[in-house]
Amino acid sequence: MAERTRAERALEPVGERGEDLGGGASPTSPTGKPPSAPGLRRLTAYGLAFLSILLGWQLASLFFPAYLIPTPTQVFLRLTRELGTRKFLFTIARSFVRLGIGFGIASLLGVVVGLASGVWGPFRRYSRALVSILQSIPPIAWVPLFIILLGFGDRPIILVIIISAFFPMAVSVMNAVEHVEPVHVDVARLMGASRLQLISKVYAPEVLPAIVTGGQVGFGNAWRSLIAAEMVGGVNIGLGWFITIAGEVADMAAVLAGIVVIGLFSAALDSWVLEHLKRRLLKWKYAV
Amino acid sequence: MEIRSLVETAELGRGEEAPSLLLAGANKGKIIVQELFKDFDSLRVLDGIHLEVGEGEFLALVGPSGCGKSTLLRMLAGLMKPSGGRVLIDGEEVRGPSPSRNLVFQEHALYPWRTVSQNVALGLEIFRFPPAEIRRRVKELLALVGLEGFDDYYPHQISGGMRQRAALARVLAVDPDVLFLDEPFGALDAMTRLTLQKELLRLWDHSGKTVVLVTHDVEEALYLADRVAIMSAVPGRIREIIRVKDPRPRDRGSASLVSLKRTVLDLLGLEPKFSQTIPAI
Ligand SMILES: Nc1ncnc2c1ncn2[C@@H]1O[C@H](COP(=O)(O)OP(=O)(O)OP(=O)(O)O)[C@@H](O)[C@H]1O
Ligand SMILES: [Mg+2]
Repeated sequence: MAERTRAERALEPVGERGEDLGGGASPTSPTGKPPSAPGLRRLTAYGLAFLSILLGWQLASLFFPAYLIPTPTQVFLRLTRELGTRKFLFTIARSFVRLGIGFGIASLLGVVVGLASGVWGPFRRYSRALVSILQSIPPIAWVPLFIILLGFGDRPIILVIIISAFFPMAVSVMNAVEHVEPVHVDVARLMGASRLQLISKVYAPEVLPAIVTGGQVGFGNAWRSLIAAEMVGGVNIGLGWFITIAGEVADMAAVLAGIVVIGLFSAALDSWVLEHLKRRLLKWKYAV
Repeated sequence: MEIRSLVETAELGRGEEAPSLLLAGANKGKIIVQELFKDFDSLRVLDGIHLEVGEGEFLALVGPSGCGKSTLLRMLAGLMKPSGGRVLIDGEEVRGPSPSRNLVFQEHALYPWRTVSQNVALGLEIFRFPPAEIRRRVKELLALVGLEGFDDYYPHQISGGMRQRAALARVLAVDPDVLFLDEPFGALDAMTRLTLQKELLRLWDHSGKTVVLVTHDVEEALYLADRVAIMSAVPGRIREIIRVKDPRPRDRGSASLVSLKRTVLDLLGLEPKFSQTIPAI
């Protein structure tokens, strides 16, 4: 494929090449504007997955009374009603603020630590050891300690999110830095690049794919930790809290409504927002 | 001019004595390599290299695979420390990389995440040129190497020959006065190689740049260089330096080049290990 297009290009007059990047045969154009065939296939897959979940749920609701498993219709009606209340919207918003702050800090820290330990050998050995010890502890296990240290509220939850998203990012970047092409570093060194320029012009862009993967894994972790921490963290707002108190009064429609929101948001964020971000950041990888 | 004639006289001695003769002369050599050794653990790769390259000279370095040509070039460029001996450029010992000398690698080594023009701009960015100036110079350079219109292509979207042109443009952008080329055309097909050889000559001519080119291709060395240094198999030594007197542009089929080629191949052929790796020409 690559060989063919290359040969074709070599035969074309220079002036015409600019517009012909995508070619007739390849479905994804670099701008990504028209819905591409792989995108459509993914959308279909998601549609099918949703349908099968709904179907299983509907079937289950036939065998259990509505106060145990309400039907999808009942839950969606409840959800629309909840979405009309300020309280529910605030609860969702608060969860997202916690997620955003925690995930943002974790990613930043992860990239910095990953790059630093990749570039500096002694620090790498130290942080590898540290990571291997700390990584095995489920982030949620820290909650009691953090609550005592920081008090009830957003801070222990954000800290748990940071811990859960930091490790995948740091490890991913660390590994990637070790695989940076030495010759790419040499090229910049020959131009007289400073250490900081080496990081900004070679290491950072070269490990960007790893940053994206680390971010995706970290985001999944962060999202799960957020809900879990809100459920056990003694807060009085947030999606996890919403599900917990609904469970305490056996309000299964609300529990399921909360779960639906979590599922829909994370699916949308992961498959759509992050995927788009990835294509944006790694434009060169997707250019055909 | 003066330097050329100096080198010329030295050449009468030929081979390994030549550099010391030069050193006795004056400090006129752009690059002076003295007693250079390189060991990788217990493996001696370079064993006492003496070499002198005049200002504005084009020197080709040929030798069997693994004899340490790339290693030598890396030490000349300051990317690697010698185990012994030293390299002087402009009379100063090389202790690290410097923008005044640059190296084009065996594989293009372009950054895959940068477009052609962004790749060419790398050195200018590192020098902190203003963006408008960078754009202007990149445009000039792309025209110079025949890559106009490919500004926004990524390296994987262009051909191997175009990648080498881009790599050359990237290095020329920072205008080094010494250029090291490590088999820059080694991975290309014969036809592209011939074209790029011609273009390299065009770029070098009147530039005043000193060039050291490593190549496997004896014909390429004879076509391009003022002098061809022939290295022995590992541990690498300079076994002979041959001057090519033909005026440029040279005719690859001329009697003198053909006979020089035979001489060089003969010299290389003395190494039994190398007999299989000589490209069939
Ligand atoms: N970083 C290194 N560590 C250990 N050994 C090395 C290293 N770099 C090169 N060598 C060894 O040094 C010898 C010379 O390598 P070098 O790359 O300089 O050869 P070369 O003449 O450029 O070969 P070629 O023509 O195939 O490119 C080889 O035996 C190689 O294995
Ligand atoms: Mg080599």
